[in-house]
Formats: sequence, C-alpha cells, structure tokens
Amino acid sequence: MFEYAWLILLFPLFAFLIVGLVGRRLPQGGGHVAVGGIAASLVVSGYLFWEVLGQGALGGEVHTTVDGYVWIPGIEGLAGSQAIHVGLLIDNLSALMLLLVSFLCLLIFVYSLGYMREEEGKHRYYAEVSLFSAGMLGTVSADNFLQLMVFWEIMGLCSYLLIGFWYHKPEAAKAAKKAFLVTRVGDVIFLVGILVIWNTFHTLVFDEIVAQMADSGSEGFAALLAAPQLLTIIPLLLFGGAIGKSAQFPLHAWLPDAMEGPATVSALIHAATMVKAGVYLTARSFIFLVPPAALPLEAPTVAILVIAVVGGFTAFFAGTMALTAYDIKRVLAFSTISQLAYMFLGLGAGAWLLTHGGETLGYTAALFHLFNHAFFKALLFLSAGSVIHAVHTNDMREMGGLARHLPITSKVMLVGSLALAGIVPFSGFFSKGEVLSATFEAAHEAPVFYLLYALGVLTALLTAFYTFRMWLMTFHGEYRGQGHPHESPAVMTAPLVVLAGFAVASGLLAYGMNGFGNLVFFGEPHAQMPLVGVPLAEYALEGLTLGVALLGIVLAWSVYATRRIPAERFTAAPSGAFLHRLLSRRYGIDDLYDAIGAKAVAGLARALDWFDRNVVDGVVNVVGRGGLAAAAGTDAFDRRVVDGAVNALSLETVRASWRLRQRQTGQVQTYAWMVVFGIVIVIVLVVGVSWFLRLQRGG
Amino acid sequence: MIPLEYELILSSLLLAIGLYGILARKNGIIVLMSIEIILNAAVLNFVAFSAYKGDPAGGVFALLAIAVAAAEAAVGLAVFLSIYQTHGTIELDKVRFLRW
Repeated sequence: MFEYAWLILLFPLFAFLIVGLVGRRLPQGGGHVAVGGIAASLVVSGYLFWEVLGQGALGGEVHTTVDGYVWIPGIEGLAGSQAIHVGLLIDNLSALMLLLVSFLCLLIFVYSLGYMREEEGKHRYYAEVSLFSAGMLGTVSADNFLQLMVFWEIMGLCSYLLIGFWYHKPEAAKAAKKAFLVTRVGDVIFLVGILVIWNTFHTLVFDEIVAQMADSGSEGFAALLAAPQLLTIIPLLLFGGAIGKSAQFPLHAWLPDAMEGPATVSALIHAATMVKAGVYLTARSFIFLVPPAALPLEAPTVAILVIAVVGGFTAFFAGTMALTAYDIKRVLAFSTISQLAYMFLGLGAGAWLLTHGGETLGYTAALFHLFNHAFFKALLFLSAGSVIHAVHTNDMREMGGLARHLPITSKVMLVGSLALAGIVPFSGFFSKGEVLSATFEAAHEAPVFYLLYALGVLTALLTAFYTFRMWLMTFHGEYRGQGHPHESPAVMTAPLVVLAGFAVASGLLAYGMNGFGNLVFFGEPHAQMPLVGVPLAEYALEGLTLGVALLGIVLAWSVYATRRIPAERFTAAPSGAFLHRLLSRRYGIDDLYDAIGAKAVAGLARALDWFDRNVVDGVVNVVGRGGLAAAAGTDAFDRRVVDGAVNALSLETVRASWRLRQRQTGQVQTYAWMVVFGIVIVIVLVVGVSWFLRLQRGG
Repeated sequence: MIPLEYELILSSLLLAIGLYGILARKNGIIVLMSIEIILNAAVLNFVAFSAYKGDPAGGVFALLAIAVAAAEAAVGLAVFLSIYQTHGTIELDKVRFLRW
C-alpha cells in the first residue's frame, strides 16, 4: 500500500541523471532540476508521513515492507542460500527520517542556489548532492542490511566527491581522501558484521531477523543459542560501521577536515544527514542490543557499555577540541561530533534501561536529539556559510562585529546557538535533557553511567561555552577583517529563517504530537503525556543541565565580550599553554594517524619494496632468463625446420605455377580445344563406366 | 511424323559442324556463327523431344534459348567490332592479349 514510496528515492535519482548528463547546459548548472527533484520527494515523503500517522501511529506502530524485485537470487539446493530482495521498510522511524531528510535537503538545495552562484562546475555539485540525497533516503528506508550498506556507500562516495569539490586545493583533496579512508575502516567492520549476520540468520531483512530472534524454532535462534557470544559480536561490528560514519572516537579524525568542502555540503552531509546514518543504523539494529524476552540469553552488556562509553567519552573529548578551534566551521564540526556522541550515549543508556526492565526513554531521546540536531546544526552551518560568503574567510579572528552587517544571519545564528547550547525553550534543551536523564536513570543499575552522566553535563557546559565563543567572536565587538561585508541574498536567508523557526519549535513540536516517544519508540510507546507524572528528580536534572548551559554562556560572555577574564591569563601559565597546544593539535591523534600512515605504512611499503625487488624480481628474472634461452632454441627450430618447410613448399609452388602458366596462351581456340578434349574424356568415362556396370549386372 | 532418330542425327551433325567451325576457322565472325549453329543444334533437340513426349515445356525452352542466342550474338558482334577498332583485325590467332 506504500508502493509510491519508491518515488521518494527515484525523484532525486532522476535529478542526478538529468543534471549529470546535461547539467552543464542548463541555467544555474541544473540547480533548479535538483531542487525540483527533492521538492517532489518532499511532497511524497510528507504524504507518506501523513499516511503513517493516520494509521494510528500515535501510540501504535505502522510496520510495512514494500517489496521490490529480487536482486540476488538464491542458489538452488545450496543450504542457507536465500534470495536477496530489494525492499523498503516503512515504519514510524523511516517515515520520520524520510520526511526530515527530504525537508532538510530541499532547504539546503535552495540555499545552494545563492551560495554556489559564483562557482565553477555547479552542475557537478548539483548532480552529486542529488545522488547524495537519493543515497540518504535509500539508507533510511532500506529493509535489509545489504541494501542499507549499498546506499550507505553511495553516501560515502558523494561525501568524498563533495568534500573534494574544490579538488584543485590540496587541503580539500587531502581531506576528501582522509574522509574516505577513515570511514572505510568503519565500513569494512560493518561489512564483516553483515556477513556474520548472514551466517547466523541466513537473511539480512530486519523484520525476518527480529522474527527469528523471538522464534525458538528458527535457524537464527538456534545459532544464537549455540554461540551466545554472537549477540555481543554483531552489535559491536555494526557499531564499528556507525562510529566510522558518525565520526565517533577513534574514527572521528575525518570530520573536522571534511570542512574543506562548501558550507552547504558540511550542513547537508556532515551535520544534518549522513553522519546521522550511524545513529540510525544503531537504532535500526537495536534488536541486537535488546534481545526479545523469548531468547533465553543475557543481554549483550559489554556491547551496550561500549556504545554508551564511546558516546559519553566522545561527547566530552570533541567538546574540548572545539574550545581552541579558530575556524568557524571546525567549531561546528567538533560540536557535531560531540552532539552525535550524545545520541550514542542516549542509545546506550536506552538499551541498558530496556534490558533492565526499564522503558524506551533512551532510544526515544537519542532519536529526538537526532531530529532536533538536524535542524539547528543545519541552521548553524548555513549561517556560517552566509558569514563566509560575506567575509570570504573561515577564520574567526578576522571576523567580529558582523551583527551590524549581517542582521538576519546574526539573529538566526543566535537562535541556532541557543538551541545547541540547550537553553529553554529552544529544541536542544528538550532532547539533550532527555538523553541526560536517561543516562542518569541507567546509573541506578550500573554506576559507570554516573561517570557518563557527569561527562555529559560537563559537555553541556563546554557546548554552551564554545558555541557562544563562536557567536561572540563572529558577531560581537569590532570588525577585524578587510572589506565591507554585506548580507546574503534572500534565496539564502529564507531557508535560514525557516530553519530558525524549526530550531525554536522542533522541541515543542514533539509535545504537540503527544510526545516524541509516542511516534518513535522501541517496544512500547510512552504510556502518558510527557510532563505528566514526571518525578521531581527529573526537573532537578533538567534544571542542572540548563544551569550549566547558562554558566557556559556567562563564561563565554565574560571572556570574549566584556573581557573581564582575559583569555591570555589562561594560556600564559605553562600548564594552560600545554593544554591549549594539546587541544589545538587535536590531542595529537591526527598526528598519530599521520605517523601511522607515514612511518608504519611507509615502512611496510619499504619492506614490501625490498621483497619485491629482491625476491619477486629475482624469481621473475630467473624465469625471464629461462624464457630467453627457450626462445633462442625455439628460434633456431623455427628458422631451420618450420621456415625451411615453408620456403621449400613455396618454392615448389612457384616452380609448378611457372610450368602451368605456360599453358595459358591467350589463344581462345586452344582453350576451346581443351574444353572439347575434356568433354570427350568425360563422355568416354561416363559411357565406359555405365557400360562396364551394365556388363557386371547383366553377368 | 519424322522419327526422333532423324532429328537427333541432324542435331548431332549441326553440333559437329559448329565444333569444327569453332576449332578450325580463324575468323572471329565465323566462330561466332559456328557457336550459333551449336546453339541451334541444342534448340532442335529441345523441340524434338518436346514433340516426341507431347510436353510443351521443351518448346518454351527453345523459344527462351533463341531469345538468349539473339542477345548473345549481339554482344558477340559488339565485342568483335570493338576488337577490330582497337587491333585492326578479328583473326583469332592474332588476338592474344588474354595471356600471361
């Protein structure tokens, strides 16, 4: 009944084909085609979302699979070989994601019409972003792991291409390569995870896996009972893919460098959509973290703790690095890593709660944060793009005082910053608070979550501080750069204003829908309206989060606006200077990776080179010499015997033909004589033979 | 009715005369005429057997062969005319340019 959902994927794909083939000749590099394609997708996704809601999604759940064609047929007679179908999974989560992605893509494409106006090779950009949007829409609607991975890789490719959009800049080319290679590490782990799943369940379809885990007669159930460690291995392998795509520690290094691409690309791919795919994957495969009650195995505590600890640690770790960044987009990149880590923390805490008899709070909170973060982070990146468009630099030290020149941009960016810092009633406040309360609740069972909660609160402080450091350095004080910045055109500010509206309202919107937990949940929806029956402790927790956020803003204000606390006093002390250097160099992790690349890989390459030169080449040379000797022998044989025979034959042919051509006199009558002679011989033969035969028969 | 044997003997005689003309005479025109005689020997055979068997197909073939012979004679005469114009003779032993 949701067959039309295919259109959501096909529209941007067609836009990609059109722009890719003839975009060069279209006005604006085919930007309008890309906008049209994604707008059509948005209309269909909106209708789909409406249908899903209409079918009792508030509190209930729609769960439909749209079958496509058979992609890889199974092999007859081979045990465990099943066909792989291409299909769409339509449920609350995917319907929401489809709507969110197509809406953000549309706004960012419209913004691109203004932002990319002056660029060379626009058609390349529009073709790639269209393909990207098809990839993202396909990722969130795939009904099996393999299809998800295909679209996942399409996104990775587009990310690579778009980071390297200015490929003539060496940093951009290098960043693109880094992003591709680092995420590849995660992708390989993800692929291994998929293979393990196939080996266990002999299917990759989400629904069938869920069914098998609860069905004691099924193949996967038996396989899990036979090897319970699979329940830990599978989610960890999938999480490996997720940390690559979502830039979590230790595969976070690519995201800050990915800021070399255009600001629209950073907003679309590296903030709003692609990096969320890791969170989506973890949420989609939540069944592995929270096995059904029918499965008599312990929940994979280790995997859950790994997810939660990586989340909590990365949130803090990335937040600290944002403190010293001067590139406006890098600040946002670090904060993206940090906020994505909140989502993983929420998922980990949620899984812990669910496996210990709790409710679906953490899962919902993480996806709520994903939803809100998509809006305000896209808003922040696009605002940063608008600033860069005006001042032609990324360096915040050359900005300042821009509030006068960019009135709209400064206001919407303030909205985005408040949302990111988590100030009530902006959207970030609600979801971040929910994630932290889920973590706090999980701590009742496992004290390690107290530590993660503390890290989360500390991160909230850091977030507020660096967000306002960024805003104040950009918009407050005196202008430190050159030239006269001017506000961006309406085609760019209009999407910003729309996004600002969502950054304010998307938190409250969920309350309008009887709670986000009634829309997106795992297992059971929230039983009641939020804010009803919430214990007092919850308010205290929310109050604490809000308090540290406000403290962070005040600190940023006193350091960067009133300068009551000069920043120099901090960096002057040796320990402070060391910390500053450590943070600026991103804890040396990038250097470490470079060293691994330069030393270890180069050393390995040298060893291989030596092996190649001395062993492989030696063998090749011996074989080569043998070949030469054999060739000489063959050559002699060829010259003497083969050629001799050929020459003799041809010589004899020439001689014979010489004799024969003497008969060719040119005298027509000689030929006629020969003809008659031949006929006579034929007649004599025919008559003679038939006479002889008759004689034999007659006796 | 004339017996078939007589007609075949006549036909054989015509063939022999034609062959002699082709092989012995040097004048191109006469060779051409001799070929016509051989053709007529063949046509006579067609007609003779057609009458003998009461089957009109032989007569039809005879008419066809006569028409082809007329065309062939015209082409042959044209060839000899052209040879005469270029070589000044139609004596066949002088015309030896079809040689190695």
